[in-house]
Amino acid sequence: MNKINNVSKEEIEVISEVSEQASRRNFFKKTAAYSMSALAAASVVAPVTVDANEHVKANPEDDPNIMEEKPWSLKFGDDVTVNLYGKPSPYEHNVTRRTTEILSSGNMRASIAVTPIQDMNGIITPNGLFFNRHHGGTPTIDPNQHRLMIHGLVEKPIVLTMDQLKRYPNVSRIHFLECPANGGPEWRGPQFNSIQFAKGFMSCAEWTGVYIKDILKDLGLNPKAQWMLAEGIDNSHMGRTIPIDKVLDDAMIVWGQNGEALRPEQGYPIRIVVPGWEANLCVKWLCRLEFASEPFYAKEETSKYTALKQTGKAIQHFYANEVNSVITSPCPEKNWEDLKKGEMVEIEGLAWSGMGTITHVDVSFDGGKNWVEASLKGLVLEKAWTRFSIMHKYTGKPMLLSSRASDDAGHVQPSVKNERVAVGIEGVYHRNGIHTWEIDAEGEVTNVQILS
Amino acid sequence: MYKSYHKKIVATTLFASVVLLGATASYASGDAKKARPSVINGVPVVYPAMTEKELKAAVGPVKASLSKSVKNKYDFNGKAIVDGGVYYPIVNGKRGAYYVNEKAHKTAYNKGKKATANEQKAWDIDVMPDGTGLPEGSGSVEEGDELYEEKCQNCHGDFGAGAGLYPRLTVGNAYEMQKTLMFQRVNPENDGPQRAFGSYWPYASTLWWYIKTGMPHQAPMSLSTNEVYALSAYILYINEMKIDGVEVDDEYVLDRKKFLKIVMPNVDGFEPKIDGPKGQDNARKYFNNPLNYGNGTRCMKNCYDGEPKVVRIATGLTDFTPPLSSEKTLPEVKADAGPVHAGKKVYDASCAVCHATDSMGAPAVGDKAAWAAVLKKGIDKVNANALNGINGMPPKGGAMDLTEAQLKEVVDYMVGASK
Repeated sequence: MNKINNVSKEEIEVISEVSEQASRRNFFKKTAAYSMSALAAASVVAPVTVDANEHVKANPEDDPNIMEEKPWSLKFGDDVTVNLYGKPSPYEHNVTRRTTEILSSGNMRASIAVTPIQDMNGIITPNGLFFNRHHGGTPTIDPNQHRLMIHGLVEKPIVLTMDQLKRYPNVSRIHFLECPANGGPEWRGPQFNSIQFAKGFMSCAEWTGVYIKDILKDLGLNPKAQWMLAEGIDNSHMGRTIPIDKVLDDAMIVWGQNGEALRPEQGYPIRIVVPGWEANLCVKWLCRLEFASEPFYAKEETSKYTALKQTGKAIQHFYANEVNSVITSPCPEKNWEDLKKGEMVEIEGLAWSGMGTITHVDVSFDGGKNWVEASLKGLVLEKAWTRFSIMHKYTGKPMLLSSRASDDAGHVQPSVKNERVAVGIEGVYHRNGIHTWEIDAEGEVTNVQILS
Repeated sequence: MYKSYHKKIVATTLFASVVLLGATASYASGDAKKARPSVINGVPVVYPAMTEKELKAAVGPVKASLSKSVKNKYDFNGKAIVDGGVYYPIVNGKRGAYYVNEKAHKTAYNKGKKATANEQKAWDIDVMPDGTGLPEGSGSVEEGDELYEEKCQNCHGDFGAGAGLYPRLTVGNAYEMQKTLMFQRVNPENDGPQRAFGSYWPYASTLWWYIKTGMPHQAPMSLSTNEVYALSAYILYINEMKIDGVEVDDEYVLDRKKFLKIVMPNVDGFEPKIDGPKGQDNARKYFNNPLNYGNGTRCMKNCYDGEPKVVRIATGLTDFTPPLSSEKTLPEVKADAGPVHAGKKVYDASCAVCHATDSMGAPAVGDKAAWAAVLKKGIDKVNANALNGINGMPPKGGAMDLTEAQLKEVVDYMVGASK
């Protein structure tokens, strides 16, 4: 027996001693011995030979990953003090936000980083992968020096510290945040052979904060107040106008995201979440709310975030991200090249609506000519990512695979052709036409659009 | 002098002006709809006008099947949902799938402190179309031109024509270019709508607010009120605009009174109408009618005739950072780059915006030849230029909070990284 196996034996002894509630003295004695030999072992980790190999002869059909011991099973891993605020396995380094220069507004401090939705599971996006867009870089704000001012058409204008803000009763809600330019580069045809860039301008998280309506109860809101300006304290001082009806419904000021504090790039210490609406309205690094009887006409609701139609008129204050969906498996990044003919495979995707809750998702295998209803899967929540799934027997024949979602407000995703009829192709924002993947005989997946 | 030069530049570099030479003949002034050209120089530029019947055929009807947990009117004012969606009232202690502590949301909470008048004044930086928030002051086109060259041209290009991926501030004559907004790039060869401040934005107040609080990009809130008036005047000038019938020429002086008389050519170019006491109700009406923005139908069988018309990627965009990969591998270990220079952090934060590449006329870090030329002046002169500004670079590159010592560190870093 080599030393490594000795350590393993010691370890087992220690664990069983603890479980048997051995005497304290005995326990410490054993642990000390164990630590000593662990140190010794760590310095002698030589090429591993294992007893099992001496007894079981590996055959060619045996997986060497099973037949050969791995170094990580024969020596210590990191102790608990390593990465006290954890991080992903280094093997997952390709699961990351990505950017491209053409989507910046000149430099990488006014740019976007898109979410790898091909790698997402369920309906929650990890905070480190959450879609990011900023207009003047990510600031590092001292929460002790940060204030929220609420003023304008209220009887009692106030200033809150972050501690005071967190004393209001909080709520936690799962909502997607979607840039209204998600899919926007593809109004005139597909451009990205990548789901991350074609549809990854969005993410979904559980947000914790306060309803703005709960703060307003004590402030004496003037009945003339129709609009609320939300403004950030970062370099861009970005502002957006929100109608009072949304403020009195479900708009929140949040400090928590998926159980932890907002990340700096998501607005630390606080941001607004306007559920279901253009994520640009969800102002980060929030410092000020001002109520007024007239809209403010901020830059990001005039020069940008307005959707120019073929009539020459532009839709302004285009609030909700309309019902939408995309198949995430397969997709260009996760193709079907490994499938065998006759194999059963799950087709899976994401559906979402800023106007309500997903009610149906239909899937087409022939470019939108005929449709079958898919199953919804997991939690189905208002203004949140919703998973759908349908089983498919892989035939190896080329196909055009599309999804089409409906919501409880009665809206259905339009075909690309009909969306163009309604608004033209120059709108930049709010594109929710049916998304299609073309799958060839080899199982390769490409981004296409159907104009039938 | 610069005016004639400017005109020349606009006529030759702004392609839209040229394109429109052929098109202006088919425009009648006034009603844009009647004058709507469908073909310019033999190329279709708009979708054919559509009747409401045709539009209705393409946009599916809204068929909401409201369950008990959903309403199409708000509880608190009885009005339709402003975004065209649904409302989730609290039913049996739950809002949709979420349990709610109803008592928590019925109480008024007295928290924080009163915002003083001074505090509100300090933070109330927005400027509204009616002049709320717009201070008294003045500035001329001439002053604006000098400021522009000093502080804006690096990013926004000569005469606001844009540079790199930074936005252009003009596309030519605002009144002519506004007419291009119905253009659609139906064919790859035709020009799309020309959107810039003059041709597109509904109100000039947005320009003033944005320059004052957001520009220059690396040094926001650094311009005085008069400087913002001067830059606004210059931007009106390069958009060839008029105020109260008077052309904003190179001798124009802008002040608050004149500013409030600006009528943007595209002021009526936006829907729904959100101004006035009916503003929010107009939005409500607009978004509850999907004919305004599209909707689908839940057809299940034989939804169209013939084979699917497939559009494939013509020119794929693949310049992704980092490159796409689904491999599960350990990341490559980068060779140790040695200790980090003290000036690098400041460089990254304040200088890289202009010095990372030569696209803005500044010597790019890493460009040996450019820096060799700079260093011919001697390092003392280079340090002095960093402090006082040179050509398009403002003093301290606009980062006024940097000390002289920090500037020297940055210069040392940039010189060292360009050897």
